[in-house]
Amino acid sequence: MRLGLVASLAWQDYRNDAWLSACAVLALVAVVAPLLVLFGLKFGLVSSLTERLENDPATREIIPLGGGRFSRAFVEQLGQRGDVAFAIPRTRQIAATAQVGTLTLEMLPTAPGDPLLNGLPVPQGLAQIVLSHTAAEKLAARPGDWLETGFARQVAGRVETRRTRLQVLAVLPLEAFARDGLFAELSLLEAVEDYRDGRAVPALGWDGDAVGAGEQRVYPAFRLYARNLTDVEPLRVFFAGQNLLVATQALSIAQVQSLSRNLSIVFWIIAGLALAGAFAAIFAGALAAVARKRRELSVLRLLGFSTAALLLFVVLQALYSAGLAAVFSAGLYGLAEAGLNQLFVQVPGEHASHLLARHYGLALVAVLGVSAVAAACGGWRVARIQASEGIRDV
Amino acid sequence: MLNLNAVHKSRGVGAQRYSLVIPALHLRAGEQVAIVGPSGCGKSTLLDLLALVLAPDQVDRFEFNQTDIGGLWRADRQTALAELRSRHLGYVLQTGGLLGFLDVRSNIALSRQLLGLKDDGSVARLAEQLEISDQLAKKPAALSVGQRQRVSCARALAHAPQLVLADEPTASLDPLNAERVMQALLARAREHRAACVIATHDEPLARASGLQVRRIACRRDTDGGITATLGEVC
Repeated sequence: MRLGLVASLAWQDYRNDAWLSACAVLALVAVVAPLLVLFGLKFGLVSSLTERLENDPATREIIPLGGGRFSRAFVEQLGQRGDVAFAIPRTRQIAATAQVGTLTLEMLPTAPGDPLLNGLPVPQGLAQIVLSHTAAEKLAARPGDWLETGFARQVAGRVETRRTRLQVLAVLPLEAFARDGLFAELSLLEAVEDYRDGRAVPALGWDGDAVGAGEQRVYPAFRLYARNLTDVEPLRVFFAGQNLLVATQALSIAQVQSLSRNLSIVFWIIAGLALAGAFAAIFAGALAAVARKRRELSVLRLLGFSTAALLLFVVLQALYSAGLAAVFSAGLYGLAEAGLNQLFVQVPGEHASHLLARHYGLALVAVLGVSAVAAACGGWRVARIQASEGIRDV
Repeated sequence: MLNLNAVHKSRGVGAQRYSLVIPALHLRAGEQVAIVGPSGCGKSTLLDLLALVLAPDQVDRFEFNQTDIGGLWRADRQTALAELRSRHLGYVLQTGGLLGFLDVRSNIALSRQLLGLKDDGSVARLAEQLEISDQLAKKPAALSVGQRQRVSCARALAHAPQLVLADEPTASLDPLNAERVMQALLARAREHRAACVIATHDEPLARASGLQVRRIACRRDTDGGITATLGEVC
């Protein structure tokens, strides 16, 4: 049977029954458009919350609690795991401070790939730092400025201070780090720790005890960030397995994931009921169409249409309705999305309601699929239409 | 072209039984026959058999276009039968049997399109010959019954079939229009050398149109059932 001819005849009949066809389209739009809005709200809300978590590296940070004893090799191994985005050892916090004027700054080690620096230049060597926003404000420091920085230690009850000049490479945004601090290469933090432990730091010309040959440095902590939100909980479990207590944002992440899961369940229950209703309506519509068009269908049978071609005639008309309903529903959803986002979005880039192209594609395929199956089930009665009914023509 | 010998078809049992017997029916290309008889005598059953939409019960010989139709029915080759129907048969139905969603031009062209035939001008030519050229863009609902019958005739002939079957084509027309439609159909069929079998209860019109007339005679049997037999040309 000629597919093009069947499609053309089905379309001409569909157009001829314009009012009935419009009713079929509107019935489907009444199901599909609210579903798109519901899913758009669910997806927009959850993806905005997820995006908020993903954009804040602190959510992915895993902080070891209590003092540990970690070798550099152990931390490097952690950094090579697939679920870890960045890992670097930390020196003792009590030894990781710097004095600039009257301001005491917390020192943090950094390296290429540090999520907090996110695109900023990375300090290299012993003379470069990145300042936190609050520290830069208090010191009135800008990128390129040199800061006279002091490091104090007590030796036999006597306070000694050594100074060095550090260049500000960049200033972190406030949302990345809200305390007074500086980010420097690990070697600077190690040098400061050595100096405060009474050792000499030849690279900076600071005197003290000589460092023992082959002495292995032990780090009490590390800075570590999971690659994705979903990697946080498995990493917490991994460290728990190593008897290492860590603090994570796993709870916040779990709350968003749970919200997403629960909204999905609600959505799919509503979608399932709505699609079942749509299936029943299309099924009944196809039954009615076969009864209503029995004379025309029997004439087509008499002229040589097979059962498959007659069934295709009925199914194609359901697909025309489904296609038009999908287009109208997408248009209505677009209007609803614009309105909802206008009303409820306060942060630029976030959405109250949002759908991706693949969601529209999925909705189209689902509507076409349900329509085709329902129409095929309802239209199967064309098999009972005899060519002789066409000859009777009554 | 069409050869039937001892073809039987029965429906029902006992007093409800109806049987049609066709002792012989032979048609050559261009031959035109009217089947006449009262309502319920079996004209439509005969047309169903000839239209290849009803399977005969017993067949001594049933050939159409050198194809063994009895064999196709026994083998239940519905697709082959449908192919023969669309390629070699044309139908004129009692009230036209037109598709209401197509305009007149598309209705006439449909029998050609089903066979994948391009329009060779035959649609316009037939419309001209049947005096419906100015109706081509209209839907069937906008036509008179007589015009619809002419469109039905045009559709039946558009793909140049070998056999045209017409079931009471003039039953719903006034005498004047009945004669005009009958003449138009037969003239075009003659032009195309298509054989015609026309079931009608209007024997005078059939005779006036120059058709061979064959009657179907009914008799009640001892079991209470009815046997209808196709007679010879009378």
